[in-house]
Amino acid sequence: MAKRRLKNDNVRVLDSLPMLIVCIAAVSALYFVCLTKLASNNTMRYMIQIFLYITMAQMWNLLSGFTGMTSLGQQLNIGLAGYSVAIATTKLHLSLGMGLLMGVGVSVVVALLMSLILYRMEGMYFSIATWVVAEIFEKLFLNWKYVGQGSGMTIRVVPYPRINEICVVALTVCVLAVAAVYFLLRTRIGLGLTAMRDDISAASAVGVNVFNHKLFVYTIAAAFTAVAAGIFLVNKGIVYPESGFSISWTISLVFIVIVGGSGTVGGPIVGAVIYVFLQEYLARFPGWSNIILGAITILTILFLPKGIMGTLQEKLGFEIFSAKRFSYSKRR
Amino acid sequence: MEEILEFMNVNAGYGRVQILDDLSFSVEKGQVYGVIGPNGSGKTTMFNALLGLIKPSAGKIIFDGVDITRMSSNVRCKMGLGRTFQIPRPFENMSLYENVLVAAVHGGSHSERFAKDVALSSLKQTGLYDKREIRAGELTLLDRKRLEIARALGTEPKLLLLDEVAAGLTEAEVKEIMELVANLKAAGYSIIWIEHIIETMVGSTDYLMCMAQGKSVAQGEPREVIGSAEVQRLYLGVDDDE
Repeated sequence: MAKRRLKNDNVRVLDSLPMLIVCIAAVSALYFVCLTKLASNNTMRYMIQIFLYITMAQMWNLLSGFTGMTSLGQQLNIGLAGYSVAIATTKLHLSLGMGLLMGVGVSVVVALLMSLILYRMEGMYFSIATWVVAEIFEKLFLNWKYVGQGSGMTIRVVPYPRINEICVVALTVCVLAVAAVYFLLRTRIGLGLTAMRDDISAASAVGVNVFNHKLFVYTIAAAFTAVAAGIFLVNKGIVYPESGFSISWTISLVFIVIVGGSGTVGGPIVGAVIYVFLQEYLARFPGWSNIILGAITILTILFLPKGIMGTLQEKLGFEIFSAKRFSYSKRR
Repeated sequence: MEEILEFMNVNAGYGRVQILDDLSFSVEKGQVYGVIGPNGSGKTTMFNALLGLIKPSAGKIIFDGVDITRMSSNVRCKMGLGRTFQIPRPFENMSLYENVLVAAVHGGSHSERFAKDVALSSLKQTGLYDKREIRAGELTLLDRKRLEIARALGTEPKLLLLDEVAAGLTEAEVKEIMELVANLKAAGYSIIWIEHIIETMVGSTDYLMCMAQGKSVAQGEPREVIGSAEVQRLYLGVDDDE
């Protein structure tokens, strides 16, 4: 069951029991490290970043790699979540949990409203439009007195959670995000999404309700991105328009997904680990980091178009976390 | 005979350019209905109106007794309108099986478990069964055309729309497609078939319509339509006066 060999194709899928055991073992080990404070605070800070980037990149990959909706506006959800948490905790004196919930709520409502205009566009038009909408929100917040205009807001959470608590929450969000993408791709909606990525008109012609599918993934992506960003910005302690709604968020996600492997569930995980360490290293060369990240992205597209995971899977002839359907397995 | 499809005085076009001009025709159940006509005569526009990709400005389209003029295209698909694309548009990164599975799950509204049987039988009917695990992007043109048909069959259509499925194929391959269509007719499908190759149409259709400038200029038994003065003039440039 674990390795099913295809007749005409050299792809094996590693899933079911052994894969499940490995995943549970890995996740348990991470929980153990977070809960027992086995790792130093510094290590945990890296871990938090990795978990949150995996979450956000997983969502960008769901949009772009699996559905063909290449959004350049994920920073919209990030900014909205940051301000929601800031308003909830600092102005309204609510708990961090309520703040994160508010972030999700606001992002989802905005995502639903955007459905009116955004999903009529495809390809480049969609990408540019998502970016423009995020820019509009940045300008709105720049001029909004209640949220401190250009100087932004500090996020004061009382009581401030300990770092290992944040780490556990971040890990939980990350695991939920990966599981959500994995299981979503195995449903009928996932099948429709994959078809839409390859050819949206043909998908519509064979009965896929393109609008509903787009609405569904865009909303899920908004919700998960918002939670992850909320935790991220609490850790930073401040949010202002240029940082919250900055395109550089999405650039990071593009880097992670492209380098890790677009259209694979493993890709964003690998990419996020690389990104966090690389970013740390590049901090020594102020001003150069985006140029270097951009150059690496371009080189990857040129020489390793399927990214690290995609290339590994192709070379070794296996797929992990695959949603591929087979005609001869009894399970599907 | 009962009618599966009726166009009633349909006007349609793109923006201000009107292509279909008061077009009326009807297709009976179980019929292979051929449509010919020079380039720009409105054949594909007729398909687009039928599929809901453009909205008619006047007239009605009745499919299986229901007025579908204002319905969206994926609803029409679920009601039983299956189409093929003139230039095949497979889901290239998915296997043939997955290609047809999408159709059976979404167009056929089945659970994946049940859709599997539908998908496999569609692949059998089109002769692609042995290749079902190959990536669709690796197929030859003939097999891509077959996959178009298999995918349309996966939606369990009552009426199958074939848009130039024989175009670009060699003579031997065209014969294979003709055989496939004959088998589909025998299996009880109603079919509308747009094609340029007149020989193919005379041999494979029950009824033929010739279109020009968005209108139907001749309808009837295929041989008679091909032989009519209007069609001769359109296709061969022979003028009535000469």
